[in-house]
Amino acid sequence: MSANPAQQKAPWILAALLLAQVALMSSNARHPDSEQSILRVWLVTAFAPIVNVTGSVLSSIKGTAGGYLDVRHAREENIELREKVDQLTAERNDALERAAELNLLRRELALPSRPQYREISANVISRDSSLWFRRLIIDRGSGDGVKRDMPVATAGGVVGRVISLGPNFAMVQVITDKHAGVGAMLQNSRAMGEVRGVGDDDRCELKNIKTSENVEVGESVVTTGLDRIYPKGLLIGTVERIEPDPNAPWHRITVKPAAAVDRIEHVLVLLVEAKDLKFTDTK
Amino acid sequence: MQTFKIALTIIVALLLQMILPRYVSFFGYIDLALLVTVYSGLQRAPVLGMVTGVIAGLGGDAVQGGILGVGGFSKTLIGYLVGVASVRLSLENPLARLSVVAVASAANTVLFVGLHQMLEQPLPHVSTWADFGRTIAWKTLGDTVASIVLFVVLDRLFSEQATARRMAIKKRFYE
Repeated sequence: MSANPAQQKAPWILAALLLAQVALMSSNARHPDSEQSILRVWLVTAFAPIVNVTGSVLSSIKGTAGGYLDVRHAREENIELREKVDQLTAERNDALERAAELNLLRRELALPSRPQYREISANVISRDSSLWFRRLIIDRGSGDGVKRDMPVATAGGVVGRVISLGPNFAMVQVITDKHAGVGAMLQNSRAMGEVRGVGDDDRCELKNIKTSENVEVGESVVTTGLDRIYPKGLLIGTVERIEPDPNAPWHRITVKPAAAVDRIEHVLVLLVEAKDLKFTDTK
Repeated sequence: MQTFKIALTIIVALLLQMILPRYVSFFGYIDLALLVTVYSGLQRAPVLGMVTGVIAGLGGDAVQGGILGVGGFSKTLIGYLVGVASVRLSLENPLARLSVVAVASAANTVLFVGLHQMLEQPLPHVSTWADFGRTIAWKTLGDTVASIVLFVVLDRLFSEQATARRMAIKKRFYE
């Protein structure tokens, strides 16, 4: 019985392929820009339009089916929403009044006004395609002015940052990803720490807050702007649970993200680069 | 023609891997690239299983994020080993194929997590041994159940190869 030459050489081919991939993963893991690779850019650039169109079709089918069920609860929901609109309108008027007062005070004290950043909206076309990483793929890329490390948010709060992109897509690392980190502070006490993703569920941890700091459940956590990625003052989430760390003089604080990172469909990419944030700080 | 079919299968598997978890979150536990690799290995061709593993593994790494080469490494090895096993053993029986998928899925998870640990890139869902065991169990279950449907579809797509494979096994074991 004679095997064909390719089958005979199979162990050698296997060894060569495994060795090549060891080299590839070693260089990827060592290189800080490993998320941006030619293979990823080519493949996702080619796949993005197909995923986008298929996603739109599936979403419209899901929307049509869900629409019938939604109609049955529309009356009660309508009443609840009207009440909420009234409440939010009052809160908005209050916020506008406070903002006007704040601007007036800033002018009188000659403080720089809060910078406004340009933003573009994007649709989520793929989400969490593997168990291991919390990633989104959005339908905006370098062709739309998006660059690496630009922050991504919703009206609710911070979603993550762009880690890889091609002409028609950007891959976003969500703040709940195990490898994500955001410079953060508690809104009331202004104590600074770092929000890290947990990866296991859609929660984050606020680290490096001393036990001497007074922290309350429900307190808002906002960005510090010191990480040179996220502008200062963006809402990250709220404190959900506080536990003492028996091994360190820090609180163990669980943060619930303000943005619904596990089910968002649309996001805003803030067209902010590190140099813009630097300019703001030195102003 | 077979090369074209395999390439198409890998592309469709990667596209589905990008699309479906958005609608069904449990799909994150299913690795279609691995299932295509195992199916190729089961064609009694170690080289085919290995090459499918390289392409599907690297493709999976590219679309899912993470370190390029980790998924490629584990799937290359699994594709080859399944190919060698299918040459030496009779794995035509559906129950045997399910067992191969279950073992391959568990091995893939162990390799993937192990390589990330070696590269000092911690992963979620494996912080304790109990978590790790649970993750392996869920992923094995997901992959095995998905393979029941997927292999039926692939058997139809590769019907000529399936017939040839059955003939070869019959000749080797029963004549």
